[in-house]
Amino acid sequence: MSRSEDHELVARVVSAQDTDAFGELIRRHQSHVRNFLRKLCGDMSMADDLAQDSFMRAWDKLHTYSGSGSFIGWMLKIAYTTFLQSRRKSKRYAEILEQAGHDTDMESRTRTTQADEVGDLDKFLAVLSEEERAIMVMSYACGLSHREISDATAMPVGSVKSVIFRGKEKIRTSFDIKDHQHG
Amino acid sequence: MTSKIINMAERMKDEQDRLLESMFESTPIADNGFSSKIVSRIRRKLWMRRITLPAAVLLGGVIAYQPLVALLKGTYQLFVSLPGDLVPSLSDSLPSMQLIVTGALILAVTLISLNMLED
Repeated sequence: MSRSEDHELVARVVSAQDTDAFGELIRRHQSHVRNFLRKLCGDMSMADDLAQDSFMRAWDKLHTYSGSGSFIGWMLKIAYTTFLQSRRKSKRYAEILEQAGHDTDMESRTRTTQADEVGDLDKFLAVLSEEERAIMVMSYACGLSHREISDATAMPVGSVKSVIFRGKEKIRTSFDIKDHQHG
Repeated sequence: MTSKIINMAERMKDEQDRLLESMFESTPIADNGFSSKIVSRIRRKLWMRRITLPAAVLLGGVIAYQPLVALLKGTYQLFVSLPGDLVPSLSDSLPSMQLIVTGALILAVTLISLNMLED
């Protein structure tokens, strides 16, 4: 998946609103974007909805892509923003329900079902904060450089490094706890 | 001694990184119509954007047609009722008002269609 091919496709989309070229860009990167969001959300269908929204936003904002970083880095930035916005909306929704005195049984039931289905990685991701999770996934699952993660999250490179270090520490500690428990 | 410790630390770090990479590794997700779904959403959006302005102009034209004709008719009659020596032969040279309004509407629709074709 070469950068120059991505840039060529982006140029075709921006100059001629070529939907076929954009379709090709989606085909090339959808797996990374969907995996990233699935690891953040822990909910496959929600992640896929967010991925669709992210690509729709990317279509609208493609003229702002400077081409200095990788396209996937830029795309994950949009996906991460979409995720954060949806998280904020659902928090607000839960607050409104709570204020209205509604029972959130349904939500807790869904959460329990999901918790039963989670794999090992999800258990490790669960010990991380939202920010740490996003950065760790960008780094280890998507292979983004610290600079690219810094661009995607609008954080200084030094902070990205320290978040990764903290995340690694947390996961290592979780491993140790697990070893003690089973040993 | 110190360099040995540093090398060991780096090797340990690498091992941990490799472990994390293998943990985070995920199987590629098949497209299965995902991209074509988004592309068709975009095409629909583009089509809607292109059709909205001409549709609004057409609708506005249809709604405004009768009041506009009445207004122009009134203005025309005002001109016609003026004394002949004040506006000499004006009434003879003016085309019918309905023709003017229809012509203006056709011109507007043609310009918009040309603009759309250019896009």
